[in-house]
Amino acid sequence: MIEVKHLHKSFRVHVRKAGWLDAVRHLWKREYRVVEAVKDVSFTIEKGEIVGFLGPNGAGKTTTMKMLAGLLHPTSGEIKVGEYVPFEQRAEFKKMMSLVMGQKSQLIWDIPPMETFLVNKAIYDIDDRAFRRTLDELVELLELEPLLTKPTRSLSLGQRMRCELAAALLHRPAILFLDEPTIGLDVHTQEKVRRFIADYNREHQTTILLTSHYMGDVTALCDRIMIINYGQLIYDGELAVLTEKLAPYKRLEVQFAEVPNVRWEDYGEVAEIEDGNVVLRVMREKVAEVSAHFLQHFRVHDINIQDPPMEEVITRAFQEEVPHGS
Amino acid sequence: MVRKYVALLRMKYIEMLAYRLATIVWMTGAITQPLITMAVWMNIDPSQSDAFFFYFMAVIFVERMTSAWDVWELDREIREGTFSNYIIRQLHPIHWAIAENVVYKLLFLVILVPIWAVAALFAPALRFDISGGQLLLFLAAVLLGAALRFLLSYTCGLLGFWVTKVAAIYGVLEVISLFLSGRIAPLEMLPPFLQQWSIFLPFRYMIGFPIDIINKAANGDGIMKGFVIALIWAAVFIIVLQFVWKAGLKKNQAVGG
Repeated sequence: MIEVKHLHKSFRVHVRKAGWLDAVRHLWKREYRVVEAVKDVSFTIEKGEIVGFLGPNGAGKTTTMKMLAGLLHPTSGEIKVGEYVPFEQRAEFKKMMSLVMGQKSQLIWDIPPMETFLVNKAIYDIDDRAFRRTLDELVELLELEPLLTKPTRSLSLGQRMRCELAAALLHRPAILFLDEPTIGLDVHTQEKVRRFIADYNREHQTTILLTSHYMGDVTALCDRIMIINYGQLIYDGELAVLTEKLAPYKRLEVQFAEVPNVRWEDYGEVAEIEDGNVVLRVMREKVAEVSAHFLQHFRVHDINIQDPPMEEVITRAFQEEVPHGS
Repeated sequence: MVRKYVALLRMKYIEMLAYRLATIVWMTGAITQPLITMAVWMNIDPSQSDAFFFYFMAVIFVERMTSAWDVWELDREIREGTFSNYIIRQLHPIHWAIAENVVYKLLFLVILVPIWAVAALFAPALRFDISGGQLLLFLAAVLLGAALRFLLSYTCGLLGFWVTKVAAIYGVLEVISLFLSGRIAPLEMLPPFLQQWSIFLPFRYMIGFPIDIINKAANGDGIMKGFVIALIWAAVFIIVLQFVWKAGLKKNQAVGG
């Protein structure tokens, strides 16, 4: 469905130092620096997949997504979405895809969302019956009924995002690009949006590429993730495989009656020691042995073994090069 | 396409109603400058008061009917990144702007024509005696003027792909147009060389030319020549706009996350 080969994008950025003198000097002499936002990125996404696209701010994920949606011209490399080359701006391409940007609303600000829906109906040549059917489904799934007739500007961020998703899906795109769809939403609304995306994908086999800062979005929705940093794709594979590769340890939390005087480093890496509470990162194969040892030799109130939090795994991935996953 | 326009016009109409107050202020505010200019001219040459009165009332009408604000809209949308939402949809963004222009100008028309009619009852200077053919020519010239100003404004707005705050460039054109379109003074009062220039530049056809028709200041030949020059400019603007649009999309940085 989506095929990307050796994609590059560089921007020419105007460099300016702070200060009055430099500001004046730059009036006639401008310096530029070439920033490579995306470097040699290649991947394929099959129909119906939900892929999470992760990376720190400025890593190149939104740039890549904008090239996929046809908003940006690649500097070099090939992109095919369906049968189309996005930047050629073909009408057929636009009809098969949709882009939702968490921070850039497509809803018309001062009038109710229903008006945007009606405009999209006309723009995408959706006939009355199909429009009714799709709208009814979206209104139900996203609980939009009470929002349809209120001016967009008076909606809360979460309400607006739900309308935003509906506006993007009215023409039943085969591909949906979601750029930070849950940004700024409260936990409850994030959950709602996630559940909707998962259900919608299952129901309609829509191919979804999602960028997010929230690990919750990714763990809840995507089996496959791609990690991009400094413009390069550093991981593409299953989420579970990444966890094993990057976090070959478990998080062992022990509540001691009295903290024993031992060298914790002998058991694992110390994450935290506080008031009798000790948190260690212990290698997976040693977890059973270490916990048995604690229980046998010390007075233990409580013991808790967990996988490391996803945030920790991803932060590690951002910091180091990860071998490509299966 | 008709269905798309019906939907866009409907939406723009509803949007305009949401901005009632702003629309009224915006409309009345634009009247101030011609009124003051008129008062100045009347003071300079009181014997021509009636002619100036008619001329500047016509300026107000034509100026409103041909006004273009697209450069500011595009400037903001491109700079803030919201323009992306138009690019990805299956309809060229220019249609949104055309629909908006149609809605606002129809509103101006239904407000200004009755006001003129009522005012003409009390002020004989506002009455005019022209044939139906001339009236049609006048309306065609207004339409052409609106198209020219719109195309220029929209093309300048698209330069926002390269330059931030592109409205400044348009500001310079507006100042030139103030003189060469006939907004500050009837064109026949300009120095001869400026009059010559104004015939070949596009600005006259945005305001002065339709007024010359209704004023009977232009004869048959002049009108014919005017339409030809204006149409050539319209064609040039359309070609430049298409070129700027294509090059702009390549240049587009789709700012904002």
